[in-house]
Amino acid sequence: MGSFPSLKATLASITGVMMLVDLYLIFMVAPTDSNLGHVQRVFYFHVPIAIMSFLAFFVVFIGSLGYLIKRTPKWDAISNASAEVGVVFVTLALLTGIIWARPVWNTWWQWEPRLTTTMILWLIYVAYLMVRSYAPSQSKGAIYAAVVGIIGFVDVPIVYYSVVWWRSIHPDPVVGPFAQADALDGEMALILLFSMTTFVFFFAYMVAERMELRNTEDALGRIRFALRRRGR
Amino acid sequence: MLDFILLGSHFTESEIPPSNLPYILAAFAVSWVVLFGYLFYVNRRQHEVKKEIAKLQNQLDQTSENEE
Repeated sequence: MGSFPSLKATLASITGVMMLVDLYLIFMVAPTDSNLGHVQRVFYFHVPIAIMSFLAFFVVFIGSLGYLIKRTPKWDAISNASAEVGVVFVTLALLTGIIWARPVWNTWWQWEPRLTTTMILWLIYVAYLMVRSYAPSQSKGAIYAAVVGIIGFVDVPIVYYSVVWWRSIHPDPVVGPFAQADALDGEMALILLFSMTTFVFFFAYMVAERMELRNTEDALGRIRFALRRRGR
Repeated sequence: MLDFILLGSHFTESEIPPSNLPYILAAFAVSWVVLFGYLFYVNRRQHEVKKEIAKLQNQLDQTSENEE
């Protein structure tokens, strides 16, 4: 894992530059929405953040499968890092959604399908992190967490399809298989795409940071173990 | 049911709906605080763990010397 510092530095530089360009595009270039006005600009952060949480939990799903099949710590480290970053993103998706809902829906929160299933998603992955923390040993925690990571992923497609299956106050999808071709103005779609790419790099950077911490924590565990064996 | 359609439009300033500036600022501020707060936490923890590793490595080296 010696290439982590250079990988992290590269990802951080790309993310930093792209984020500055993204903010310029959002506030200076993106057209103002005819229905919602300027507050619609929250959309360029809210949607990519929500999509990044789906990506994070997909990585957890793959990592969990990999760990249960191969039982190598590398898979567990990827799942662990991605789950923690995913919880950060889904928390933000909920928070930015709440803030956006107030001026648009005239309420902070509605127990409607998209919001409710997203809240369940948040609870599932918080439970994933808790299972890992409270397990009697690291290896058992990794196994329990992998099971939660696989079963919990079932909620991700439910969150996405919730606005298709149950029509509600939340707008239809603007990305993915159920997005309508004319759901977005061309310029808006391009800026959304750029914002999404920026957040992919941000996500990768955060996962790299968290994985490096995990490696350091593992090294600490090995030293503690060596000291215990020497009776200190 | 609100079924908003996102349209790129070229309105004059007086025709644009209310900006709701505090909500835009709040949404972006919350995003930055949470994202950088998390990165700050990870970096601080990394620093603490590295410090503890150095301390324990010292103890481990001393134990080795004593045993020799």
